[in-house]
Amino acid sequence: MSETRPHASPSRGLWILITVLLAPAVVLPLWVPLYNRTDPELNGWPFFYWFQMALIPFATVLTVLAFALSRIADRKDREARSETRRQEPPEGQR
Amino acid sequence: MNAVAVSVFVFLFLVVTVLGFAAARWRRAERMDNLDEWGLGGRGFGTFIAWFLIGGDLYTAYTFIAVPATLYAGSVVGFFAVPYTIVVYPLIFLFLPKLWSVSHRHGYVTPADFVQGRYDSKPLALAIAITGILATMPYIALQLVGIQVVLDVMGMGQDSDNWVIKDLPLFVAFVILAAYTYSSGLRAPALIAFVKDTLIYLVIIVAVLYLPSQVGGWGHIFDVANDSFTTFNTDNADAIAAGEAAGKGIMPPAAAQWAYASLALGSALALFMYPHSVTAVLSTRNRSVIRRNAALLPAYSFLLGLLALLGFVAIAAGVTVGDPPNPQLAVPQLFENEFPPWFAGVAFAAIVIGALVPAAIMSIAAANLWTRNIYKAFLKRGATDAEEAQQSKLASLVVKFGALVFVLAFSKQYAINLQLLGGVWILQTLPAIVIGLYTRWFHRWALLTGWAVGMAYGTWLAYDVPLPGDPGSHFGGPLVLFPGAETTKVYIALLAIIANLVVSVVLTFVFRAMGVDEGVDQTEDDDYWADEGDQGVELELDPLAEPHR
Repeated sequence: MSETRPHASPSRGLWILITVLLAPAVVLPLWVPLYNRTDPELNGWPFFYWFQMALIPFATVLTVLAFALSRIADRKDREARSETRRQEPPEGQR
Repeated sequence: MNAVAVSVFVFLFLVVTVLGFAAARWRRAERMDNLDEWGLGGRGFGTFIAWFLIGGDLYTAYTFIAVPATLYAGSVVGFFAVPYTIVVYPLIFLFLPKLWSVSHRHGYVTPADFVQGRYDSKPLALAIAITGILATMPYIALQLVGIQVVLDVMGMGQDSDNWVIKDLPLFVAFVILAAYTYSSGLRAPALIAFVKDTLIYLVIIVAVLYLPSQVGGWGHIFDVANDSFTTFNTDNADAIAAGEAAGKGIMPPAAAQWAYASLALGSALALFMYPHSVTAVLSTRNRSVIRRNAALLPAYSFLLGLLALLGFVAIAAGVTVGDPPNPQLAVPQLFENEFPPWFAGVAFAAIVIGALVPAAIMSIAAANLWTRNIYKAFLKRGATDAEEAQQSKLASLVVKFGALVFVLAFSKQYAINLQLLGGVWILQTLPAIVIGLYTRWFHRWALLTGWAVGMAYGTWLAYDVPLPGDPGSHFGGPLVLFPGAETTKVYIALLAIIANLVVSVVLTFVFRAMGVDEGVDQTEDDDYWADEGDQGVELELDPLAEPHR
């Protein structure tokens, strides 16, 4: 599910990076055999439970990084587009 | 029945009812006889409000009642709600900004609008609209079940054999919901949502911090739950071996791993195709708001996980749920046993109001779909604004009654099954919507046939699943044996979507070889990247306006 830009693709590499970055947040929670066990326990919590709870902040960190990268990607695209299409009104959003 | 708890509950319920009707006067539109009141979709929401809106969809009766109920009943598969709500955010991050862009460029308000524009196929758009409406009904039904169990625990109507008296409190709650949604539209849930969120956060935070310490801490809770399940398995070894009862445990058996993963993935893919979540996402101001929310919303998942574990807390607290046992009563009963009566009343009100708000939003989103993509597209092309508003109001009533039928007709033993059945249906729109965001490779008629096959196959599989210990019953669960496997079960929605995709791919080759007309795609590649400030991007989507090229 890599996102590619049809024309001007300065952000293409970034989008591949973002997709790779987000992949563990999708794959790890679905990889049940990885965490379907009791040990090691943490504070009385079986591994099965605390590992999944720990995945939440882990996924959050990845998504925050992906968000930061997507802002850079958006900005690059915006610059590329204003070069290729000068008829557009100036954009001052970011 | 505890007088203090009931009084607090009734008081809060009355406050909300008054708010619901008063909402008709809140920020009154100049004209009340058109669909503008449905225009929540056009407000240009920022991160904060969107966080509330989208997150509010997650905290429904489902999280409070159904998920802990499965854990209480010893079926740890219910904990899939946690991986489900982890997986869903990266998917939202990648998929939904594209839907935002193309929708804001072309004035699409519903997923069916997008499919119509992309594939130039009215039958396919109709199929998408019908699926959205159909799948929303069991979701609303789940909310009604949530209301019902709370009323049960409070002692309203549970001991009567007369079904009229037994279900009367539910009917009353339902009629009030229907009445204020009818008169106030989307303003009612929008206004009540503030009360709802405040109450729910209060109750959740108190519940997950206070209750575990009351019953001896998390380690003790896991031990007690484990012991209780082991005892059950020993006592019922014969029945389990004969397949008449399901074994219990705090860890999923190896055979359930596929079920666990497929439920999480299937539900995550389904969530953002529901009409009400699309409405919430399209109402954000720009693409970044969606992405920032994808990073912020997991905060909800953490509380959701702790809430799910209240099912084990209830076991450790010695909560019993009647005979025959109804695990859905576990959490409300836990609140009644462990909280002081006044706070139990607050908690009950939070669950019921937390069920009413999403029920109202869902029924309005489904009604919107009806009016826009069925009534106006097929039945009456030149409908006036007043006629549209009237249609939407009526449709929202019909959808809610449909939900009531679901509640009364199907097994109430596991409310979660109802919602998972809706998930089976809504997932069949994935090839047209999500894959459609990336490529128009699929042929429109192949997608329609694939959809029909997926819907029929999924419903048939679900129909054939009996309740545990009740052979011959139907719609008893979301899992079936993987074809050819002995013990490995898998979520029905995933089998149905595989059938759907296979048919869609094969028929795309066939139709293309036969030279069947593919229609004209109204969207361009650039539309999927447009953002706030770009040429032709509308900030406020007008539900009344036609989509355009």
